[in-house]
Amino acid sequence: MIAGKTVIRIALASTLTFSFAAQAQRPLLDSASHSAAKPAAVAYLYPEQITVPAGKPATIALHFRIAPGLHINSHTPREDELIPTVFSIPEGSGVRLEGAVYPPGADFTLPLDPRTKLSVYTGEFIIQARIVAASGEHLVEARLHYQACDNNECMPPKTITAAIDVIGK
Amino acid sequence: MKRNTLVITAVLFILAAFAWAGWANWEYRKQAAERLLASTAHAELVPAAGDSGSPLQFLPALLGKPAPAFTLEDVSGKKVSLASYKGKALVINFWATWCAPCKLETPWLVELRNKYAAQGFEVLGVSADDIDRGDPQKLSDEKRAIARFVQQMHIPYPVLIDADSISRPYGGLDDLPTSFFVDRDGTVISAQVGLTSKDETERNIKKALGIVK
Repeated sequence: MIAGKTVIRIALASTLTFSFAAQAQRPLLDSASHSAAKPAAVAYLYPEQITVPAGKPATIALHFRIAPGLHINSHTPREDELIPTVFSIPEGSGVRLEGAVYPPGADFTLPLDPRTKLSVYTGEFIIQARIVAASGEHLVEARLHYQACDNNECMPPKTITAAIDVIGK
Repeated sequence: MKRNTLVITAVLFILAAFAWAGWANWEYRKQAAERLLASTAHAELVPAAGDSGSPLQFLPALLGKPAPAFTLEDVSGKKVSLASYKGKALVINFWATWCAPCKLETPWLVELRNKYAAQGFEVLGVSADDIDRGDPQKLSDEKRAIARFVQQMHIPYPVLIDADSISRPYGGLDDLPTSFFVDRDGTVISAQVGLTSKDETERNIKKALGIVK
């Protein structure tokens, strides 16, 4: 009986000790890096994996989300200086981008300049990409180049990666 | 009984070893995180004390300190040094051709520069547009685009290029427009991040000139 209690105590002590050891494995940089770096203005949502016919053009719908309160220029901004949103796939990835259809931009005016209309994306948007995949599985690191602003300030242009597992069958 | 004592001692020893390993690991990670934070630290923008409470009004860690020195080229290739403006009140205005709010702010700066120039006030515009020094053709195109903007906006003050090269001492310049107001002694007395208002900008210029406190 006494030996049984001892075993239970040892088991409890082990659990506590392992919990402490496991806690120590949590990356302490999480909180530090969150406070130091701004979250990306645009996030790639999905698809993570697609299967397309090998060697034939296929259209895939790529979903992105813009952080609340921000907008990015559409693919066809109204002024030459403004940086358009552009989707691309690096060469040599086994998947070729034949073309992309971007959504039309929505009209947007800065509160302090109601006369100037900008063409922007906000919230979620979808790019229809026409691709041709070679036979086999390809981990494609597609890219979206954009420039984000809110009503009063702009962030430098940025390129994010959209990781897509493309299977050509 | 003796065997039980031995087993319990061994188990306790192992548990103590785990606890020590966990604690040591935690300490190591904590120190690594602090080292990383220290190495990536930059001027943190904090709300200005006693202002109107606008979320757009900030004062950086540079407040009350000398404006970080720099020498940059203007759009014509002429070197311009901050030190050569000693004795003048300045706005160091970081902007970019792709920044719509900067386009709104620039005419205000032009107007205020012309209004206060006689009292010893100047604006230094610093473009944050990308500069490809390794590609002469691209560099030339980029300079031409900046020069076109300067011409369209009728900017009378020096416009320098390559803000990236001095972004670190000026707090990272993650948002544009960003302006630093510098008094005649070269001390940063205020800063604005994002588009505020012409009145706010004028108030800060007057502070830099010593007209108001």
